[in-house]
Amino acid sequence: MRRLWLLLIVLLVLTLLAGACGGAKSTQSPAKAPIRIGGVFDLTGDLASIGGPNANGAMLAVEELNAKGGILGRPVELVLRDSKTDPVATGTAGTELVEKEKVVAMVGLVDSDLALALGPVCEKAGIPYVSSGATSPKLPSQIGRTFFMAAFGDNTQAAAAAEYAYKELGARTAYVLWEKGIEYTTILAQYFQERFRELAGPDSILLVDFYMQGDPNVPGQVAKLKSLAKQPDVLFLASEPDDSGPVVKQFREAGFSQPIFGGDAYDTPLLVEVAGPVTDVYYTAPALLAENAGTELGKAFYRKYVAKFGHPPENAFPALGYDAVMVLARAMEDAGTTEPKAVIAAIEKIKDMPGVAGNLTFGPSLEEHTPKKQVAIIRVVNGKLTLAAMYAPEKVPAP
Amino acid sequence: MNRRSLLSALFLLTIAALILLVVHLFAGAYWTRIAIVIGIYSLLAVSLGLSSGFTGVFSLGHTAFMALGAYTGALLTLPVQVKQSTMQQLPGFLATTQLHFLPATLLAGVLPALVALAVGPAILRLSGHFVSVATLGLLLITREILLNAESLTRGARTFTGVLPLTNLWWVFLWGAIAVYVSWRIKRSAIGREMFASREDPLAAQALGVSILRARLLAFVISAFFTGIAGCLYAHFILAFSARTFYLPVTFEVISMLVVGGMGSVSGAVLGAVILSGFKEAVRVLEPGFAIGPIRVPPIYGLAQIAMAFLFILFMMLRPKGLLGDREIGGLFWWDWFRRRSASLVERS
Repeated sequence: MRRLWLLLIVLLVLTLLAGACGGAKSTQSPAKAPIRIGGVFDLTGDLASIGGPNANGAMLAVEELNAKGGILGRPVELVLRDSKTDPVATGTAGTELVEKEKVVAMVGLVDSDLALALGPVCEKAGIPYVSSGATSPKLPSQIGRTFFMAAFGDNTQAAAAAEYAYKELGARTAYVLWEKGIEYTTILAQYFQERFRELAGPDSILLVDFYMQGDPNVPGQVAKLKSLAKQPDVLFLASEPDDSGPVVKQFREAGFSQPIFGGDAYDTPLLVEVAGPVTDVYYTAPALLAENAGTELGKAFYRKYVAKFGHPPENAFPALGYDAVMVLARAMEDAGTTEPKAVIAAIEKIKDMPGVAGNLTFGPSLEEHTPKKQVAIIRVVNGKLTLAAMYAPEKVPAP
Repeated sequence: MNRRSLLSALFLLTIAALILLVVHLFAGAYWTRIAIVIGIYSLLAVSLGLSSGFTGVFSLGHTAFMALGAYTGALLTLPVQVKQSTMQQLPGFLATTQLHFLPATLLAGVLPALVALAVGPAILRLSGHFVSVATLGLLLITREILLNAESLTRGARTFTGVLPLTNLWWVFLWGAIAVYVSWRIKRSAIGREMFASREDPLAAQALGVSILRARLLAFVISAFFTGIAGCLYAHFILAFSARTFYLPVTFEVISMLVVGGMGSVSGAVLGAVILSGFKEAVRVLEPGFAIGPIRVPPIYGLAQIAMAFLFILFMMLRPKGLLGDREIGGLFWWDWFRRRSASLVERS
């Protein structure tokens, strides 16, 4: 028993000592003092497969900025913290960054729920927070004026999917399957149905079904679809990253050969790994990052990423991490200062800024803190990813 | 309760309140957040200890009560305009009412307690592993109901816009009340019946102890405080959904209780403080640190690994938890304090 207490006390003392000693203090003059940008990313937990690459993109952006002399002539420092895919840890990390590390701006997070944990901390401190992947278009009105998104809203990507399916794929009827249990897939499916009905008529959605989160076994749902007298032209399957592979696989194996459409959660190597060399599977994404496909900026980013990390980008989320940092950099240069209010005003004035994940346009209203962007429509052909189009939807459902 | 134990309880409370006052005034938002998190987990651990610890019903489903408390509290404090814009399908009374935090928290405790009262007689007759699985079933069922009752809970969609009403003092108040209630129950006749039903149900029944009554009382009171903890949690994280209250939280609270000592009220608090504190201390180290000339690179995820490692260490070295069924409550510290001051007086 004595041993245990001793061990505990030693552990605690070591931990506290290390925490107190950690990190070298900057001794540079104020003019050259680094610009500290806070970054909270999902480095561990359920979202680590996209949070990790997301952080890599941000790190790449900071490295590039510093190679060119930094922002406003000052070096940039990205202060990283782990969200652990947990709202409490996210809030604590955010508070630590704002209060102790005194960051002047914030980036990070791909999940809207976690952004809702970090957003209020930044809003209270008044510092700009550009989320590098959260897609709920309601976030700016829920958090406040300091909040911006580097990604398109779910309403935008769902509208793009609906319009592309209708116009380019000629689909006049659709089947919708959505994952019940998380906000993202719920609203993605709702926005898709709204836009598709507008285009193809009120009866164009032949069947809407769902499956519970964590259980992507859908033989019942597949059978229900098979029993329909009239088969749909396109299947819209709104799933999380981990479920996209199994769900697509089951539909293809059941004999459904019509185009399948998904959201940006399909942007994971798991899709092709699990579903196999499928074809005619489309999904909306921030970008397609490949060596010989996609936009010029995308190809250049691909090469830079491979050079720094030694392997290709896992998905498009590095592009969003990169763009989020670049938005802040551009705003700080435009404003000529890192003072938060000026930076926020400068972000609002950004129009058609080239980004790896598409051009970004912001505006002064809260709704315009979700950028107007093109959506990359990615098409899987025999297991290979190709860029079908960079598409800007004509009409986007209200958030 | 005699004068000595009353004084010692007051003594402990005063010390705790003073510490919190210092934190509140000088320590800033970060430390306040840590204190609130530790406080809420302590409340959860103490509540769980009242049921799982005292009566031996190893409940895996208490997080269901936390969820019910969170939704109830949040629904009652949500401003009417927000309800009108984001939750148009609320039934009449809920849609037009906004309560102050105190009544909302009380009701957030009452609802799970009523649910516990309703399902308790069915579940608590089972024994051993069966009752644990039944409580797990309760958690799963509650989660399904919350996910599907979209007009009340927004279903799978995030429940947002919760007012940031939780602060250090509310957490301390409810924590103190829970600790006091648990401690009084433990030292009372019904508390002894609870422990008896845990140690040897047959012998207890032979002596006229009603196992079901003891368990049910513990279950209901435990559900009440767990619901309150859920309400405090909801008004702290400000956005949540049914998936926030599931297995990870369940295991965290159970580990805290087990580490502290299942039958001990102060043990529950101690376990919560140790595990939460240690997890946060390690989290601070994750971005990398230096011990003298050696620079350790970032190791994200270290906090979760460290907490699991600490738990395993405890299970190996001290399976009954730090305190088992004993307490290091006010009496312990009060006597220590008196002995110290007595010896000081002697020497002068």
